[in-house]
Amino acid sequence: MIYREMGKVISNEEIAEGIYKTVFISPNISSSSMPGQFVNILPSLDWRNVMRRPMSIASQGNDEISIIYKSVGEGTRIMANWAIGEKVDLIGPLGNYWEGYKSSFPIIVGGGVGIAPILNLHDVLLEKKIDHCLIMGARHSGEHFFPHEPQNKVFLSTDDGSLGIKGNVVDILKSIYPIGKHSQNTKIFSCGPPMMMDEVRNYSNENKLDCDLALETIMACGFGICQGCTVERKAETNGVHSYRNRFALACLDGPIFNAEEIISCV
Amino acid sequence: MRVKLKDIEFSSPILTASGTYGYGHEVRDMADVNQWGGIITKSVTRHPREGNPPPRIAETRSGMINSIGLANLGVEKYCNEIIPSLNELQTKVIINIAGSAMKDYLETMEMLESKNGKHVGYEINISCPNVKEGGIEFGVNCEMTEQLTIEMRKRTDKLLIMKLSPNVTRIEDIAQAAESGGADAVSAINTVVGMAIDVKTRRPKLNTAFGGLSGPAIKPIAIANVHKVFKAVNIPIIGIGGIATAKDVVEFLLAGATMVQIGTMNYQNPNLGIQLKGELSEYYSQNEIEKTEDLIGKVEYHSN
Ligand SMILES: Cc1cc2nc3c(=O)[nH]c(=O)nc-3n(C[C@H](O)[C@H](O)[C@H](O)COP(=O)(O)OP(=O)(O)OC[C@H]3O[C@@H](n4cnc5c(N)ncnc54)[C@H](O)[C@@H]3O)c2cc1C
Ligand SMILES: Cc1cc2nc3c(=O)[nH]c(=O)nc-3n(C[C@H](O)[C@H](O)[C@H](O)COP(=O)(O)O)c2cc1C
Ligand code: FES
Repeated sequence: MIYREMGKVISNEEIAEGIYKTVFISPNISSSSMPGQFVNILPSLDWRNVMRRPMSIASQGNDEISIIYKSVGEGTRIMANWAIGEKVDLIGPLGNYWEGYKSSFPIIVGGGVGIAPILNLHDVLLEKKIDHCLIMGARHSGEHFFPHEPQNKVFLSTDDGSLGIKGNVVDILKSIYPIGKHSQNTKIFSCGPPMMMDEVRNYSNENKLDCDLALETIMACGFGICQGCTVERKAETNGVHSYRNRFALACLDGPIFNAEEIISCV
Repeated sequence: MRVKLKDIEFSSPILTASGTYGYGHEVRDMADVNQWGGIITKSVTRHPREGNPPPRIAETRSGMINSIGLANLGVEKYCNEIIPSLNELQTKVIINIAGSAMKDYLETMEMLESKNGKHVGYEINISCPNVKEGGIEFGVNCEMTEQLTIEMRKRTDKLLIMKLSPNVTRIEDIAQAAESGGADAVSAINTVVGMAIDVKTRRPKLNTAFGGLSGPAIKPIAIANVHKVFKAVNIPIIGIGGIATAKDVVEFLLAGATMVQIGTMNYQNPNLGIQLKGELSEYYSQNEIEKTEDLIGKVEYHSN
């Protein structure tokens, strides 16, 4: 079931430099969403652009959902200024969700704006007491909003070394899990900038690890009718390239794809 | 609010535009699809098409450009998988057909005709700007348009609507060709050729460089084209292009449209056509308009 509901803003804060978290009361979407899914948002009721803005759900439960986003343009600037009590037109939950984390040792890797679906998974794993490792990357300490806790397998990286480990998330991966040093059932879950995910994908390939990636594409609808959110998949083995084989739709077949399935994250 | 095209009565003059509402069922959680005057389905072609590589869409000011490339599952699967679900809709269904050669169009229609679907008609897309193969586009050539219309007319008694492109020198000539070929109506407009470039990467925002512009940005172009066609033909016109409000619908009616289609704005609000039906009916009662006919083509020119 897809709901269109007016989410009521109950908090909206800058949690790190240029990064905002909004919590809505949105009972239907809250009770039906799974970690990894997203909502498609109308930034304001007099929004003049034609497209909604897709945002991953960062948490769900108790009639609430939250989103975490970076202010990068017109839509997200309006969002950053939502007042408490404002009603926002939301469509969701949309897309597929993270799977295969119960029977594995999950290493979850996030960076840039790819924080929300990763934190959502982290929370679910904590709740289900599933041992896992969380790695988050940012450019500098100002963009992080929780502590570096290697003892709890929570690792932060920064490009400038101002917090956590200096380098990018793949540098951390390589230092804590050198090639060949994985348990059989390790599975990687990642969301972040395309270049970062491509590196994570290469690392997974080198280590022969199962790896799921949450991709971002431009989306006009979010629910399968515009056919605009295409992700290129590897050629089907039977050679018949036809409708929705080679070109998958990120809003229906994704946003989460297996690393083996796709050509690239860019 | 009711309007008739030939002998078919529609409960509202507001239809969905092809490619912007799937096959109706995708949005059923969010909208009572049967409240639309009718559903026009995504273009179907003779063979399955994978469509163009990404990126296929980009947002532009008050609009978007797309180059989907007619991705669809082909008429054979369409007959088996889509027609049964279309038959369940309570509203009127019009099947949109696209092609790149006469033979493709005709075979597609023959297969659909053999299916006993409940659909009331066909809209023929002779104007898709996003498909390269097939040589000359039908929609820019009067003789080809007329020939295609004649051949399709021979194959169906259902409504036959030819969908016109604004990317031509004289849209009224193409409309006349469709009329003399036996079309019951024309619809206008399809998307307007457009292009956008990312100034940072210097790459076009669409993989195919050129695409089709749609949304509120094209409404004045659409109004002008509908009005030109209105002055040139006697068959009804279905107006399309940038509709977002009830006033937009009235504007199309005044320019000469008998019905309208909503496209791009469905993505943002899948309930829009149903909402506008209510607002339009309010407009009618506030302005003492008894029937849609009282508005069609009633634009009043400046007198000088
Ligand atoms: C499934 C999905 C989940 C997402 N989840 C999050 C999230 O949790 N947090 C977050 O901060 N962002 C997320 N995004 C990206 C977010 O949608 C864009 O940042 C947002 O649409 C930008 O809107 P704007 O009006 O502020 O920027 P604009 O002015 O429209 O554009 C600014 C920049 O953002 C890019 N952009 C625009 N629309 C999109 C889009 N739909 N996807 C990717 N890039 C886009 C543009 O190319 C441009 O470079 C997600 C995208 C998808 C598809
Ligand atoms: C993403 C997208 C896909 C479309 N696909 C089709 C199609 O398959 N067949 C067709 O005849 N028109 C197609 N159109 C054109 C629309 O039906 C309509 O003519 C056009 O978008 C103008 O109306 P609008 O401004 O209300 O969107 C498509 C438009 C968009 C935006
Ligand atoms: S966003 Fe429209 S089909 Fe995926």
